[in-house]
Amino acid sequence: MSPSGGIGVVLACVVVILALAPLVALTGYGGTFPDTGIFADPYLARVLRFSLLQASLSTLLSVLPAILVARALARRPNLPARRLVLGLLGVPLVVPSIVVVLGVVSVFGADGWLPLGRRLYGLTGILIAHVFFNLPLAARLLLPSLEQIPSAQRRLAHQLGFNSWQYWRHIEWPALRGALPGTALLIFMLCLTSFAVVLTLGGGPRSTTLEVAIYQSLRFDFNPPRAVSLALMQLGLCAMLAMLSVRLTRHREVEGDSGGARHFDRTLGSNTGWARLADGTAIGTALALVAGVLTAIVVDGANTTMISVLNRPEVLDSLFTSLFIALIAAAMATLCGWLILTSSTRFAAGGREWLGNTLEGIATIVYVVPPLVIGTGYFLMLHRLVDLDRLTVPVVIAVNALMGLPFVIRSLAAPMRQRAAEYGRLCTSLKICGWQRFVLVDFPLLRRPLGLAAALAAALSFGDLGVVALFASNEQSTLPLLLYRYLSAYRVNEAAVVGLLLLGSCLMLFVLVERVLGGPRHAGH
Amino acid sequence: MKPHTVSPKSRAIPAHGETLQMKTLLSILLTLAVSPAIASAADLTIYTYDSFASEWGPGPRVEAAFESRCGCDIELVGLADGVALLNRLKIEGSGSDADIVLGLDTNLTAEARATGLFRDHGIDTDSLTLPIDWTDSKFLPYDFGYFAFVYNTEKLSSPPKSLKALVEDTDGPTVIIQDPRTSTPGLGLLLWFRHVFGDDAATAWGQLAPRIVTVTKGWSEAYGMFLKNEAPMVLSYTTSPAYHQIAEQNSRFAAARFDEGHYLQVEVAGMLESSNNPTLAREFLRFMLDETFQEIIPTSNWMYPAALPESKLPQEFNALIDPQPVQFFDDETVAANRRAWIDEWLEALSR
Repeated sequence: MSPSGGIGVVLACVVVILALAPLVALTGYGGTFPDTGIFADPYLARVLRFSLLQASLSTLLSVLPAILVARALARRPNLPARRLVLGLLGVPLVVPSIVVVLGVVSVFGADGWLPLGRRLYGLTGILIAHVFFNLPLAARLLLPSLEQIPSAQRRLAHQLGFNSWQYWRHIEWPALRGALPGTALLIFMLCLTSFAVVLTLGGGPRSTTLEVAIYQSLRFDFNPPRAVSLALMQLGLCAMLAMLSVRLTRHREVEGDSGGARHFDRTLGSNTGWARLADGTAIGTALALVAGVLTAIVVDGANTTMISVLNRPEVLDSLFTSLFIALIAAAMATLCGWLILTSSTRFAAGGREWLGNTLEGIATIVYVVPPLVIGTGYFLMLHRLVDLDRLTVPVVIAVNALMGLPFVIRSLAAPMRQRAAEYGRLCTSLKICGWQRFVLVDFPLLRRPLGLAAALAAALSFGDLGVVALFASNEQSTLPLLLYRYLSAYRVNEAAVVGLLLLGSCLMLFVLVERVLGGPRHAGH
Repeated sequence: MKPHTVSPKSRAIPAHGETLQMKTLLSILLTLAVSPAIASAADLTIYTYDSFASEWGPGPRVEAAFESRCGCDIELVGLADGVALLNRLKIEGSGSDADIVLGLDTNLTAEARATGLFRDHGIDTDSLTLPIDWTDSKFLPYDFGYFAFVYNTEKLSSPPKSLKALVEDTDGPTVIIQDPRTSTPGLGLLLWFRHVFGDDAATAWGQLAPRIVTVTKGWSEAYGMFLKNEAPMVLSYTTSPAYHQIAEQNSRFAAARFDEGHYLQVEVAGMLESSNNPTLAREFLRFMLDETFQEIIPTSNWMYPAALPESKLPQEFNALIDPQPVQFFDDETVAANRRAWIDEWLEALSR
């Protein structure tokens, strides 16, 4: 196997430059940089403490149940409407935070179905919303690792008569361990940078994240150096956690087929009544949480203005713009992620696992550089050269691709390492490499996680408000932007219809992308 | 590692129909992509906020009316909000394409003036119907409004009669407000408190704190939650009930009149020093105070027009609460104290 992984290293560098160049541009704009005052500010110390607390709790409450859900889904390949269930789990990612807030209020608010009253506001509300966003995501990200368990192992476990616990201890846990730290890191980053949810459901300024402080210093105070200092603090924090996650990541080195007897009944050995009940409960609870808030959104959206709203040209235009941006951004993120992972996998196979993990870590943590900071930096750098308002769509696409990259890395990293371990030597000995290897080996074997990666990146971009465009006009409005426009013009019902349209089209987009890339049916069943 | 492990999956290609649909979709999208809206070389470029430029805002009607009058071409560029307008100007400096900036409010004008980018408007302000005297030579008002707590009359029969009563009555109604760090009405409430309570504002915030259900990022979140009955009162404008009456024929909502008076927000426009077409820019500012422009404002921007006699307002506007006496800090006072007052607010509500 060729030891070089040049292209991935180059790409990772490009990603870092794309994310950090705007920061450099902003440091020279008024104020002083670095703003060391941020380390002595008691307000920021409080903000930092709260950010870490809510993000840690949110991650824990999302990832632990997600393990159970992923395990249940992996053990039940013949679950009725499995693809729809998987699609539904991909939807929360797309829902704009304001819609989630209103959905959570519909379920748990004073007039809600499960009223919590004032107790909703504070850590409770924040955690509910974050678990709604992230539990399904974590389950989807962990599932491929479990599905990649070689059938030989499953057969062996069956022959040895493993019970459910032994199966988990010796088969499932080792398979999951490689994907867990990275997934937890990604979800931690998502919660750390959460903004509107934290402010609105947090009940008051006690609940403030670093992201709010960055927004405040960039918008109301227009103090770019301070905003950059805060963004770097956030980046440094995540870099430390990424290093920890790299140390904890232990990809399993297993050789052997994992595709051969794929239709081998995975449920064997876990088909007792209790096991069924446990799996059913896990899937059911996750679905109930997702479905509760989603149902609220559907109920709100199915109102009398629906037909007229769906017939408005601006709604259709926005839908197409959103789709266009999402598909291009997802394609860019997937391609970039694939190439970076090809290199990191090579490093790992060449005995330099730390280098591979670091490469993946770098491509992941750029996520926490706030899009608003990136966008402002780009506009500052480019406004003399081009018409800012024509730059809006390309910048939104580029930033969405950048933000989608960690999702691609997380969905593909574990399966790619696994495949490399299984087929790497065979490919080398048969001299299959490059494009040929992609067509003959990698794509057919990895198309399912690839489909998931692209679908997640597309969904993320589809629901993005395009906050980078705060400084430019949005002639080509997107669906989330249109939703906010309706809301700020008192048109709550119209906004609810757009929310529903956003959900529906995302679900279709998700299923379609997974289907086209990942193959029409669940492979092997 | 048998070859057949590969083949079953590689056959798993989508059905023909699907591929075709996908191609059609992609080709439509590509067509959209390569034909971006061609930026017109307009005679006059106006930066404004998104909801002014959007199709149910005043923008399109204002544009059509002025274009037919001047025989020229104007372009409205809609940015997120007033703060975004100011920041865009700070980035672009004297190289801005804009001739006019429309949509700053009186909490931003001091900072906007300090950029040195604006030119004197030179327009006679006698026709203004503002509740305060207007002496600003750079910025010209086009509309104004007052902050108020809006309530649902079916949920709350006797709302507090003053800000003091709202703050002090421990059994009073709960409220949803906005964050002054991220929202214009939020900042308005902060200034209102300072005006009414002076140096005791922090104490007043502490008293109200237990009845603040939540503090939202922006007006939309707060109003949406209010409509879902999360609290009987929400911080909004005295003109909000007019929207429900005129657009929805719904008279359930009212603004609570407070004895101390209500805090004023004035929205303004100004012309840039760097404009290539100052004559036309000034003509637009003059048109802004014309009856044609002013009559569009009430039912599209849901604010009071800045230069229109009461008799020409929609009747629903005349039925709204009387916000007198007006509470207002001049823009220099706001600019000088904003930071300290926000810190005071943070401290009071974080305890």
